Amino acid sequence: MNGAALKADTQDIVVDEVFPHAPETIWKALTSGDLIARWLMAPTGFEAIEGTHFTYQTTPSGEWDGVIRCQVLQVIPNQRLAYAWKGGHAANSGYGSPLDTVVTWVLTKVESGTRVRLVHSGFVLPKNDVAYQNMSNGWKKVVRNLDAVVSEQDGTKSLH
Amino acid sequence: MIESADITTVLRTLADPTRRAVFERVVGSDEISVVELTRGSGVTQGAISQHLKSLKQAGLVAERPEGRNVYYRARPEGLEPLADWMGHYGVFWRDRFANLRNLLKEIDP
Repeated sequence: MNGAALKADTQDIVVDEVFPHAPETIWKALTSGDLIARWLMAPTGFEAIEGTHFTYQTTPSGEWDGVIRCQVLQVIPNQRLAYAWKGGHAANSGYGSPLDTVVTWVLTKVESGTRVRLVHSGFVLPKNDVAYQNMSNGWKKVVRNLDAVVSEQDGTKSLH
Repeated sequence: MIESADITTVLRTLADPTRRAVFERVVGSDEISVVELTRGSGVTQGAISQHLKSLKQAGLVAERPEGRNVYYRARPEGLEPLADWMGHYGVFWRDRFANLRNLLKEIDP
């Protein structure tokens, strides 16, 4: 489906929750532009048709304009929706660095409603950078690592 | 929309060791006043206030005035630009799931 998903050195974010609603209702929230805008962000050009390109505007960083470029990869109504999620710029590190990922939604009918499973796959972890890896574990830890990260980043060109 | 200052602002703000120490003390308490922050800090109340102003502008702290005092607390989301993509989206998707749950409750009670 996507090269990034096959690389061994990438990681996924998985969020898996049961919602007390029918798959059809949740599908509507995942695939109607007006509704997406109310819980995620306002998409530009989204249509639940394979091949469609669309974008999200997020917070810019350095040379990156903050635009997330997406393309619908798979649509199985009421069951499965996948789209490419790309952004970032090579001049950035951490937030704003090159991002080539895939977002997949899987809906499964269960007794109490629908199991919603989000898999955001293809994260390339910064190598040899323990401080950054630790940051994934929560913001309290981030604070403890600030000294190292600030002194490391303070001298880089991305700041100027 | 993710409400956070850009990474340069956050890093510049935290590059000052005294300001970083102030931020770490705010993080370490639920809520703290300028007077409490000044106590034992070795710098003047005016200097602490200036640091808090910078931290507020960078989105790292929030203030709550009460009478003649102003209380400060940390804004964890202010650190988001510092995290890597995975840390960022870990927070992002959990927030969005909560939004989705609320929206569904609204459109399908």
